[in-house]
Amino acid sequence: MVRFKSRYLLCEVCVPDRSNLQLLEDRTIYNTLRAAVNRAHGDYGSALFNIGVIVKYLNAHTGVVLIRSRKKHYRLIWSALSFITCLENRGQKVQCFLNCLHVGGTIRTCQKFLVKYNRQQLHRMLPDCKTDAEKQEVRRAILSCSLSNVREEEAGEDGSDDDDGDKET
Amino acid sequence: MTGAKDRMREKKMKNQPRNVTYTSSGRGTGRGQGSQACGWVRGHQPGGHSYSQDLPKYITASYFAKARAAEVNAMLKAVSKPAGSCHVFNALPKHMRRRAMSHNTKRLPSRLREGAQRLAERSHRAAEKEKKQLPRSRSRRARRRHGNLLLEFNRRQRKNKWLETHIWHAKRFHMQKTWSYCLPLKPTAKSFRASYRAMNTHALLQDLSYFCCLELQGSEEQMLRALARLTSKQTGPTFAAASCLSGARQGSVHLYKADQFPQGCLGPADFLWRPRVPDASDRQLWIWIHPDLKQDVLSELQLVCQCSESVSVSEESGPAVERPAGRKRKRDEDDAEQPSKRLLGDGTRPAGAPVRWQSPDTAITISDLTMEIVRYRLIGPLAHVVLTDTLQPASEEPCDAVSLHQQQTDVFQLLRGVCSTAELPAGCVLGLTVDDPRLTLPQKRGKSVPDLQQSAEDDRLRDLTLTGVAAHCSQSALWDTSARERVTHNRLSEQELNRMRSELLVPGSRLSADRQAAVPLLLVHQGGRVRGEERLHWGSGWDLLLPKGWGMAFWVPLVYRGVRVGGLHMSVKHSQFMGQPHFPQDYPDCPAGVRFQSEQEAELLEKFKRRPPSKRTNYIKHGCLAPFRCPWQQLTEEWEELVNLSTETASCCRTRASDFTVLRSLKALRRLSAWTRPPSRRNSSPLTHATAAALQQECGPSLLWVRLRLLGKGQPALHAMVCAPTTSDLQLLLQDPHSSGPQEPRHKDHLKHLRQHKTSPEEPARAVRGVFPAPLPSVLSHCSRLTLGWVTQGDFSLAAGCGEALAFISVSGLLHTILEQPQEQRGLVLLRNPSSLQYRFARISIDV
Repeated sequence: MVRFKSRYLLCEVCVPDRSNLQLLEDRTIYNTLRAAVNRAHGDYGSALFNIGVIVKYLNAHTGVVLIRSRKKHYRLIWSALSFITCLENRGQKVQCFLNCLHVGGTIRTCQKFLVKYNRQQLHRMLPDCKTDAEKQEVRRAILSCSLSNVREEEAGEDGSDDDDGDKET
Repeated sequence: MTGAKDRMREKKMKNQPRNVTYTSSGRGTGRGQGSQACGWVRGHQPGGHSYSQDLPKYITASYFAKARAAEVNAMLKAVSKPAGSCHVFNALPKHMRRRAMSHNTKRLPSRLREGAQRLAERSHRAAEKEKKQLPRSRSRRARRRHGNLLLEFNRRQRKNKWLETHIWHAKRFHMQKTWSYCLPLKPTAKSFRASYRAMNTHALLQDLSYFCCLELQGSEEQMLRALARLTSKQTGPTFAAASCLSGARQGSVHLYKADQFPQGCLGPADFLWRPRVPDASDRQLWIWIHPDLKQDVLSELQLVCQCSESVSVSEESGPAVERPAGRKRKRDEDDAEQPSKRLLGDGTRPAGAPVRWQSPDTAITISDLTMEIVRYRLIGPLAHVVLTDTLQPASEEPCDAVSLHQQQTDVFQLLRGVCSTAELPAGCVLGLTVDDPRLTLPQKRGKSVPDLQQSAEDDRLRDLTLTGVAAHCSQSALWDTSARERVTHNRLSEQELNRMRSELLVPGSRLSADRQAAVPLLLVHQGGRVRGEERLHWGSGWDLLLPKGWGMAFWVPLVYRGVRVGGLHMSVKHSQFMGQPHFPQDYPDCPAGVRFQSEQEAELLEKFKRRPPSKRTNYIKHGCLAPFRCPWQQLTEEWEELVNLSTETASCCRTRASDFTVLRSLKALRRLSAWTRPPSRRNSSPLTHATAAALQQECGPSLLWVRLRLLGKGQPALHAMVCAPTTSDLQLLLQDPHSSGPQEPRHKDHLKHLRQHKTSPEEPARAVRGVFPAPLPSVLSHCSRLTLGWVTQGDFSLAAGCGEALAFISVSGLLHTILEQPQEQRGLVLLRNPSSLQYRFARISIDV
């Protein structure tokens, strides 16, 4: 009857140099965020962080981070995001800042938003491309993530899923 | 279990994208975005190894675009697939799901229809497969047709034998399966007091057909010589007792293993000789024993009579098969089928098992007549009235022995005039030939009342009550096997009887008797309480012996005369009120008694364990060493030691550990009985140390069967302790005759802390909380008073109006105790229940 409601913060890690992103790990983000919350909100903040915060998804290539926290305290976490200046990983410091793209109630809504956002980004990238090869790559990428592709995949996997389902029942 | 849980979780989360990092490139090849991205990133490097060092120098927009596209795909997949359920129906959005989708697949959109149909098929096939594995049972009607029901009953009798009256009992009694019989235990209605009243004033009926009958045939001297080895004159009249030998009386005897008196007791038996026929020299003897004893006694008899060869029984199966119907059956289509017969006699015996043994030297034949004769017992003072109401001597005399039948009829008619069954001498036997009692079945149940008019033949009545029935009147055709078979064969079935009744011109009038169906039977009088001085002849009655097959024909008319019916429970109480030991409970030295004790111990322990530990009685604290099983051997040994120590006689050579026995020698019992009574008259041998020592030497380590009667309050329970009072206790009683008695101080439970520490699993037999573990400490001196013995049957006695108990006590203990008691208070002991600390005063009496 009583639910634990959570809020998912979809953030993007913005770095000046893309190559620095590679060493990203969910533990890195977590520790950095914890330190930031501690600095900003003290013991109270650390305790709250300890309860409900976890990094749910991380994509090192695009720098997308999905952080989950309790509904009551997400603003606290959100406010601490802006205090992050660098990410530390095994002695290497990377200058960055975390940009919060979307706050959702479920993972699914964040995923939907991410789909839209990525498509927008791809479309925006197209006029910025310098070479033709790049443009073609980008176009191919846009096409590859169209809905029909996904549908085909779905259908193909539906069959296999059904088989699996049948085998298991 | 966690394996399954993990698998389920994986199945549900398989669509969710995993973290995409560079260090995960070395890991597994699951589905999802991880491997795809890694593979895509490395491009020309399939397969994985750790990638953390080798990073691209620059990242182009194309790279970035591909990354984004890949992520989008992953997200889309995660979003579009419903999480967790791969069920066909959950793929539909909620507004398209219908209630009856499962069995009507047409309600689904076509893309999902095939999946649903496949599912439906599979569940159908599974259900059919399960159904086919069950055996097809017939309809209830087919199962309950009479023939099939009989077959079913015959099948059920193969394991436990059924009495003839089983079905009647099964509807009204709780049944118990023991001794390979299914016997009635207690009525389902609450009727203890009513049954007691019936035993006291009217009549109680019991079906005792489970007693086994062994028949011996041969010359008299040979049989007596063989049987003399199995009994001893000290316990009372044996097989050769004069009154029993003529056939006029039934006797009872204790059987021992051959030549091993006083050890090796087997149990009690009743016996009956056939009256002498003037021409033949062979005699017949019937021995009735309890089914638990049967194997032991049979082997002993075979040993003693040297009968080891069994006579083949090929002719027994013949009549069973080719008995023509003689009974009118509904001729169905299956005419050729043999109509099913109810199983009569012993069903558990396999077809070829031997039933007769013959000896070449002694010319004795032993036959096993286990279920051939039906035995009913009527207990109570009006038992003879019930019998005279129910039985009508055969009106048409059979061709032979006219005068004998007439004499028997006369005696039978005389029986009416007797006031109470107890007036007749115990054990007298009357043979009779009667009509089918179903012919005179009353319309309604009633209660038979005694005939209050005094009979005219006073003299003959007096002769009857003084001397009993003459020997030649005890003759009956029941003794002949052929006569029994013929009578069983000629029995009218219920169906025919009812047909005859319906054809009567005047309904309710008496049916005409058939000459062929005159049933020979034996009426045996049972003396009730013959020993002791109080309530003599309580519990006397008549036994009715019938050929097999006629059980129900006699049972229902008897029940219609208003008798109560009792089961095993009532027969135990009957023995208890008569003060006699009941087999197999009260025979601790017989192998059957030992078996019974171990079974009883297991049962009581089981019941004890069933209760929650905090609600059980803690027998250790109450100082009760043996609440479930009485260690007789230990008791007798300890008493021997104690007595030897105190007297310091030179009888230390007798310290061999011999088995204990129960004292049954009449002479010793008479002397002990005289000593335990306060001396109101002269005794032939007064009690002194010397005489006591002499008696003890004679008896050896033995137990004594006594009856205890509580002086005041108190109800003895099973396995209550009988203890010797100290002089201070007796003085207490002198001062205050209504005192309740001393109290035992509470013992410490020394095992409590032991149990808490011993939690190691290598202790297989953990001590049950509250009961002493196996090697018992000294039984004698554990409590503040010396233990003499234990109670085997104890209850509030309705007949006496106070608590009465029947117990075994050690002979040496008793002598030791009464030697120290003053004369007026001799025979007083203390009684304590296992779950109480209060001692009660009781008086011993030994019934002889």
